[in-house]
Amino acid sequence: MIHFDNVTKVYPTQKRPALDGVSIDVDKGEFVFLVGPSGSGKSTFLRLVLKEEKPDKGRVHVAGKDLARLSNWKVPHLRRRIGCVFQDFRLLPNKNVFENVAFALEVIGKPRRFIRKVVPEVVELVGLEGKAGRMPNELSGGEQQRVAIARAFVNRPQILLADEPTGNIDPATSIGIMKVLDRINRTGTTVVMATHDAAIVDSMRKRVIELEEGLVVRDQSRGVYGQAY
Amino acid sequence: MRAQFVLSETWIGLRRNLTMTIAVITTVAISLALFGAGLLVNQQVSEMRNYWDERITLTIYMCNDISPTAVCQENGPATDEDRSALQDKLEGMDQVQDVTYLTAAEAWQDFQERLGASNEALAAAAQEGDIPDNFRVQLSNPEYYDTVRAAVEGSPGVDSISNDQRVLEQFFGLLDGLKWSALLVAGVQLAAAALLIGNTIRLSAYSRRRETGIMRLVGASNFYIQLPFLLEGAIAGLVGGLIASGFIVATRFTLLTRVEEWFQFDIALGTGALMYVIGVSMILGVLLCTVTSFLTLRRYLKV
Repeated sequence: MIHFDNVTKVYPTQKRPALDGVSIDVDKGEFVFLVGPSGSGKSTFLRLVLKEEKPDKGRVHVAGKDLARLSNWKVPHLRRRIGCVFQDFRLLPNKNVFENVAFALEVIGKPRRFIRKVVPEVVELVGLEGKAGRMPNELSGGEQQRVAIARAFVNRPQILLADEPTGNIDPATSIGIMKVLDRINRTGTTVVMATHDAAIVDSMRKRVIELEEGLVVRDQSRGVYGQAY
Repeated sequence: MRAQFVLSETWIGLRRNLTMTIAVITTVAISLALFGAGLLVNQQVSEMRNYWDERITLTIYMCNDISPTAVCQENGPATDEDRSALQDKLEGMDQVQDVTYLTAAEAWQDFQERLGASNEALAAAAQEGDIPDNFRVQLSNPEYYDTVRAAVEGSPGVDSISNDQRVLEQFFGLLDGLKWSALLVAGVQLAAAALLIGNTIRLSAYSRRRETGIMRLVGASNFYIQLPFLLEGAIAGLVGGLIASGFIVATRFTLLTRVEEWFQFDIALGTGALMYVIGVSMILGVLLCTVTSFLTLRRYLKV
């Protein structure tokens, strides 16, 4: 599903590569944690998957497509197959829960009938049934993140990228968020989650890829956050 | 494509930057009105040129008993030989299409007919014989004016040659100057309008960066993301163009009508010419705004 072949990325203002010859394979339906300190290259990895950045060396394949050969006007179609969740939720404050989720479908031109049908389903899937009419500022952080997940997943993407989705949320609420992500993973969606949250990684027992200074230092199935010696 | 979504986004953008939108519309309207006025004057001038080019004649006045000029005082009134020699000479020239001889009585009659209605005092004051007999020379092309004039000037019996072309040139020069200054000011105004539109769209893109960020993320096409901003520019341009059209129509029916009255031209710009000017101005307004929006978005809305 995601295939990195010897990928190097250097940002113009920096000498040290953000990713340095990284080769990673993520299969369809996998759940992968991306761990490592700040500046280790986790976000760069996610940006390369979305083709927000181009690699300086190496090849990136996503959902069977070679991104180097994907023309710019086709990038939106790539992004429709990828859902994104961020630490800061990125909800629209002037739209309620339903409208925030529906927005993702409206802007890719889905018919209204379809939107009325699928949005309530996804809102229920993330555990917000009965709160579709609430505004974001009336929701807790955990609930806002659920809305963001619903928006990312409403178009049934093949891949869900999550960049520290529990970074702004207390540990108890984080467990709920992880359950939602796990539920989404069980529908066959590949989930890649960048995180600093050791407790979550340890409890989930999923594949862990650890990056450090742009290098893959560990790739372990059913791993934990810290080095397992 | 969800038209309603795009339109509501456009409307929100226009309303959110209301003061800037008004500034854009005003600038566009003023610049297009000036531009349109320039085009109108241009059309009027070229119509009048055509009109006069067809009618421009050389009038050669012959000497008579009361001619005050030195040439006539010296040589006396023109003789019949002088007249027939001049007529033959004129008819032999390629540049001359037609020659008509008017006796003093005919010339006076013609004068009465032309001026009688509008200037009775002057018509009444003129007596038969005040206007000498003359040749009306129709040129095959108005460009030959100077050639023909040079050829007959100084021929025996010739008093003076009327110089209506020079008078007309001065008048056309004035209108040309008017046209070019209108177009120049319009150009400066249009440049200012373009900068204003660029700024408005930039503000609009900035105030909606959350929305556009999410749109980009969930895979909305570039066109879909940019369309509300482009429409915002286009609508501002269109409204500006409509207001300008009002000004242009007003110009047509006040200023140009008055010019026509002053100079007693029985030619008026038709509705077709007016529609042409309005159409060109509107298209220019909408194009200018849309293209500027597009260029601004390329810089400030990374997609």
